[in-house]
Amino acid sequence: MNLSDYQNEFDNLISKQSYSAVSQPSRKDTFSKFLDSGLPTRKWENWRHTDLSFLNKNNFRITEPGDASGGSIDVSNYKIANTFTVIIINGHYLTINSDLPKELTVSTNSNGENWTPKNKKDTPFELLNASLSDSTITITTEPNASIQKPIHILFLCTGNDDLMINPQVNIDISHSSSATIIEQYVSNTSSFFQNTSVFASIEKNASLNHVRIHSNSDQTANISGLHVTQSDDSTYNYFQLVDGGALQRSDIYTDLKGKNATCYLSGLALLDKKQHSATYIISDHIMPNCVSSQNFKSVLNGSASGVFNGRTIVREDSQKTDSKQSNKNLLLSDQALMNSNPQLEIYADDVKCAHGSTTGALDKEALFYMQSRGINKKEATSLLIRGFVSELINDIKNEDVKDYLFEKFDNWLLNNNQ
Amino acid sequence: MLEVKNLHVEVEGKQILNGIDLNVKPGEMHAIMGLNGSGKSTLSNAITGRENYSVTKGDIIYKNESIVEMEPNERALAGIFMSFQYPTVIPGVNNTYFLRAAVNAKRKYNKQKEYDAASFLKFVKSKLKEVEMDSKYLKRAVNEGFSGGEKKRNEMLQLLCLEPELAIMDETDSGLDIDALKIISKGINNYKNKDRSFLVITHYQRLLKYIEPDVVHVLIDGKIIKSGGKELALELEEKGYSWLES
Repeated sequence: MNLSDYQNEFDNLISKQSYSAVSQPSRKDTFSKFLDSGLPTRKWENWRHTDLSFLNKNNFRITEPGDASGGSIDVSNYKIANTFTVIIINGHYLTINSDLPKELTVSTNSNGENWTPKNKKDTPFELLNASLSDSTITITTEPNASIQKPIHILFLCTGNDDLMINPQVNIDISHSSSATIIEQYVSNTSSFFQNTSVFASIEKNASLNHVRIHSNSDQTANISGLHVTQSDDSTYNYFQLVDGGALQRSDIYTDLKGKNATCYLSGLALLDKKQHSATYIISDHIMPNCVSSQNFKSVLNGSASGVFNGRTIVREDSQKTDSKQSNKNLLLSDQALMNSNPQLEIYADDVKCAHGSTTGALDKEALFYMQSRGINKKEATSLLIRGFVSELINDIKNEDVKDYLFEKFDNWLLNNNQ
Repeated sequence: MLEVKNLHVEVEGKQILNGIDLNVKPGEMHAIMGLNGSGKSTLSNAITGRENYSVTKGDIIYKNESIVEMEPNERALAGIFMSFQYPTVIPGVNNTYFLRAAVNAKRKYNKQKEYDAASFLKFVKSKLKEVEMDSKYLKRAVNEGFSGGEKKRNEMLQLLCLEPELAIMDETDSGLDIDALKIISKGINNYKNKDRSFLVITHYQRLLKYIEPDVVHVLIDGKIIKSGGKELALELEEKGYSWLES
């Protein structure tokens, strides 16, 4: 899909009045910015390692409210025990459990009435999202509320059309409250492109556990921008699992705007065939006494490829920062490829920062050690891969979510260790 | 039990063993002594089937069957065990989980019912006592953060759980303090019986103060140049290896 394809789609939707009148000027302005910037190419530093050929080769129709039909996906396949589930079909809100606690508000706007999408970083895909988005979901907690049960937002893509979907998710965790939010992307369409923007704000002393699961079919592109702003004494725990899709890219921006804030980012990519998964992070330490960590792992099989590009900025005023970056990758095949680039930019002098990266094949010594104890090679391989990933999944606090993630891992392993 | 016949072994194109003959009968303990680089560890790696240790000539017969073509795990299931000189650290793999997988592989091979988590814990706790090992080591990743002595006790624990018929102790005494050495030796002595054989590979005679080999072999440049009773070990202690080198 090239610029003129996007232009045609945009013109078509604007003329159909699919978007609210109030948002039209902003959309036109945003879209012209997108046209000015153009689509990223390998010559752009931040897109050097991201293979966008899947997007360039395929054409997508931008989704409209009428696309939110039930489709043929069996939702029960994606159920996570003990969660509130919000189901979004083809980019449009469909249903939610009715038993939400009163301290939690989940509001959706699927037709764009009186609503203008947001854009923060002016990157090409964010500009596209902000000009084309016609669906938003907003999750808000009351101050001091502790929401125990996770909120599971299930984005489903179904049907025969190759759709492009541009949802926006707003998460507002009010002061001294806490919540767990799971975003999950699944599909059974032949091909689709999901371009999501998520904006999370975590107020003073509040805490958000955020899990994101990408389990799309092989003919799927998933690009997302995640913007997190943290206030004093707040905590943000993020975990992403990528085990599906042709192309997946996350751009994560965390702004530590308050003192004593904690931000833990982690992720696991389980890739095979020609899958590509790229994670770009900017953790920005603006205030003192904050703790941040990036802990990402990939297991790559077939001719899959991945990118970890984690950047931590420690600004002049952010003394006593404690920051760690770690990226470890396991290559199961000679054709798999990983680009790992942890970066620290430090402008303060009294800080503790560390980073490290390793990429390698399965440890032959460990395999032999296990085999010498009677364990066959296949099982030894499974034990090693499981050992490699379990540290990350074990850190997930919610037991049901943890079980679900291990189940997904086991399924992946079943297909990739034969 | 174990017959090594004219064994020649190459590692990455380099000839290390130049015709080894050994015959270890059930219930016997043989000690292989030699300096660093003499081929001691190559012999144990060849018997256990480590990758890249290729037998270019000769044979290894275990229980009347050649094992040269067998996978390492098949050799282990048949009853061969090696206590590693440098036990491997396996991050992320829980020690109990690993040990249970190994014991269950063996039980499955022997057509016995596999242990579930609870019954295995009971089984392994009785073995822990014998090697005087704290149960906290079961909760860690395999050999992760273990001291030299703890690693060797963990090897001994695996031996006791897997009940091999042929145990190869590769430089078990290296990195051990005297207390740990006594515990490991006691373990070996208690384990040994008329059906179980040991091949003890060592550089020094130190370990042989606590365990008594039936036969001592001296390995130099990939060949056994002298075999004898346990008095040979004492002679080596006194005179060093140089008197044997031509």
